Amino acid sequence: MTVTEATPQAPPERPAERGNARKEGWIRRAPLLPALIFTIIVTQLPFLVTIWYSLQSWNLVRPGSQRFVGLENYATVFTDSQFRGVALNSIILTLGAVFIAMILGLAIALLLNRAFVGRGIVRTLIITPFLITPVAGALLWKTVMFDPTYGLVNFVLGPFGADQTDWISTFPRAAVIVALVWQWTPFMMLLILAGLGSQPAEVLEAARMDGANGFAVFREVTLPHLRRFIELGVVLGAIYLVNTFDTIYMMTQGGPGTASANLPFYIYQRAFLGFDIGESAAMGVVTVVATIIVATLALRLIFRSFSAAEEA
Amino acid sequence: MADVVFDQASRIYTAGAKPAVDRLDLTVSDGEFVVLVGPSGSGKSTALRMLAGLEEIDGGSIRIDGENMVGVSSKDRDIAMVFQNYALYPNKTVGENMAFPLKMAGVEKSARAEKVREAAAILGLTDYLDRKPRALSGGQRQRVAMGRAIVREPRVFLMDEPLSNLDAKMRVSTRTEIAALQRRLGVTTVYVTHDQVEAMTMGDRVALLADGKLQQFATPADLYDRPANAFVAGFIGSPAMNLFTVPLTERGVRLAGHELALPRDVRATLGTHQITEVTLGIRPEQWTVTDSGTEGIPARVDVVEELGSDAFLYGTLAESTGDLSDDSAVLTGSGQDAVVVRTGGRSGTRRGDRIALTPSVEGLHLFHPESGERL
Repeated sequence: MTVTEATPQAPPERPAERGNARKEGWIRRAPLLPALIFTIIVTQLPFLVTIWYSLQSWNLVRPGSQRFVGLENYATVFTDSQFRGVALNSIILTLGAVFIAMILGLAIALLLNRAFVGRGIVRTLIITPFLITPVAGALLWKTVMFDPTYGLVNFVLGPFGADQTDWISTFPRAAVIVALVWQWTPFMMLLILAGLGSQPAEVLEAARMDGANGFAVFREVTLPHLRRFIELGVVLGAIYLVNTFDTIYMMTQGGPGTASANLPFYIYQRAFLGFDIGESAAMGVVTVVATIIVATLALRLIFRSFSAAEEA
Repeated sequence: MADVVFDQASRIYTAGAKPAVDRLDLTVSDGEFVVLVGPSGSGKSTALRMLAGLEEIDGGSIRIDGENMVGVSSKDRDIAMVFQNYALYPNKTVGENMAFPLKMAGVEKSARAEKVREAAAILGLTDYLDRKPRALSGGQRQRVAMGRAIVREPRVFLMDEPLSNLDAKMRVSTRTEIAALQRRLGVTTVYVTHDQVEAMTMGDRVALLADGKLQQFATPADLYDRPANAFVAGFIGSPAMNLFTVPLTERGVRLAGHELALPRDVRATLGTHQITEVTLGIRPEQWTVTDSGTEGIPARVDVVEELGSDAFLYGTLAESTGDLSDDSAVLTGSGQDAVVVRTGGRSGTRRGDRIALTPSVEGLHLFHPESGERL
């Protein structure tokens, strides 16, 4: 219930008081200043430098080639079909991994939300993939699971005729998505479990009394309650996964060709394997701007659904 | 419309522990409004939840309309429940909340809208059908919960302390509304509360529970006039009945040094129990107050609660030889000699006054000193 109360009017401040208040404000904020300056130095300055680079034609392989070319690099980026393909890859990898992880996380959370013997142990075991270093996880999937000769996947699927399939080179994007889903499902599960825990038992009981069966209770009551938790999981997962580098680097090196490369990996390739500083800087700027736009919209969505917190 | 029978129904949470509901026998007739009342932990809510199908029935059975409900899930019992916190669906509008049971029952959309409109008109919710519950006041939410229960015309209504989240004024008005609505619809209703005023004012019959056991199941008047045991006597009525453990004498009982004569037949009954003491109960309104020094048990007034229409005197009885001059010795309401008396308003009695009290003989309740049973 929101009750709007009349906030007592603060007496009009006199200039001297306002000066004091400002001074006090600065005294309180001053200790934060070093951290703020440090953050600006390590995040904002490099970005400005990147923008500067993106306006140059500069390839490290040809010393002395550095010159100002204006927006030429951006024109190249937008007409580069490989860049568009990689951008699409980024979207597929991010959304694919996030949505599959969310669906699996939701299913596992619903199962774990019931009381059974050994629930604590099962929950801990299911969380472990999230605690493993991404590089180690990717290596595990590449060698232990997907290896054409020794991999567990082929061992298990062997009887069904999957003998000697090289999963990673045949389905590079799918293989990366599988590894990411494995790593991110526990995160989604934890979020959903928290959401389920915050649901009042009375509402579920009311739905049962009103004649709803298990599925109807889920569809009509639980899922709407979980909506904001699902939104939060999707947004946080997407913000994190759009930057995936380690998994791709370990499993496919973006290959074959650029079949499984996403934007960060492609930019890395162009900058540190192709040594084209100007063009990769332009790509970086484009990526950052696009990410900021998407993330802003997504975060606004989260804040809206959490500020309209559903009580009652 | 249906009758409800609890037949030796028990709920045991952990094997070996004391049952939360212990072999409850209760018969609610068709169309009757029965209130389950008791202190917290008495098992009243558990009994209701067993009827709702939200708790297991570990022993005995519960029958609705003759059908045994053991093993029948809530959704198949055709009963509606109003929860303490209303348990509205926060993401649905008021109209959708009320239509939900009908939707689950597969009622067509137009018929649903019709029934919701009818119920909303009865409850004065017509203007709020498109709002979400969070935009409603507590009283309105309570009515939505009622509406959700009545649209589907269930066999039984269950209400679990539905008024406890309302403010005092709202509680009194809603109390009357619910009772009136139940009479109008004629649906068998089981209502749980810890508030004995609600129990006395709303129920056709009241079942008083304590420690999982049924203490008495009777009309409100019977419960007040003929409490089955000392617990019921102490629970029903506000302020509570004065209870004293007093020795038996030849002509009656001795209270604070004063002999109270009892009728011959009562003395004969007491004689069959082979007891030397008895628990004596006297309601606050059964005392006559006179000036100190006149006939009666002398007492000192410790606190006066002036309510306007009447006043309650909280005092201490004195042995006739006793000394009441030591003011600091007594804490109000404690001890064997504490007494509560109702008098008319503006009686002029003040704190510290000395008075004399005489109980009316018809107003005496006698209970067994150990078992607490009425004698």
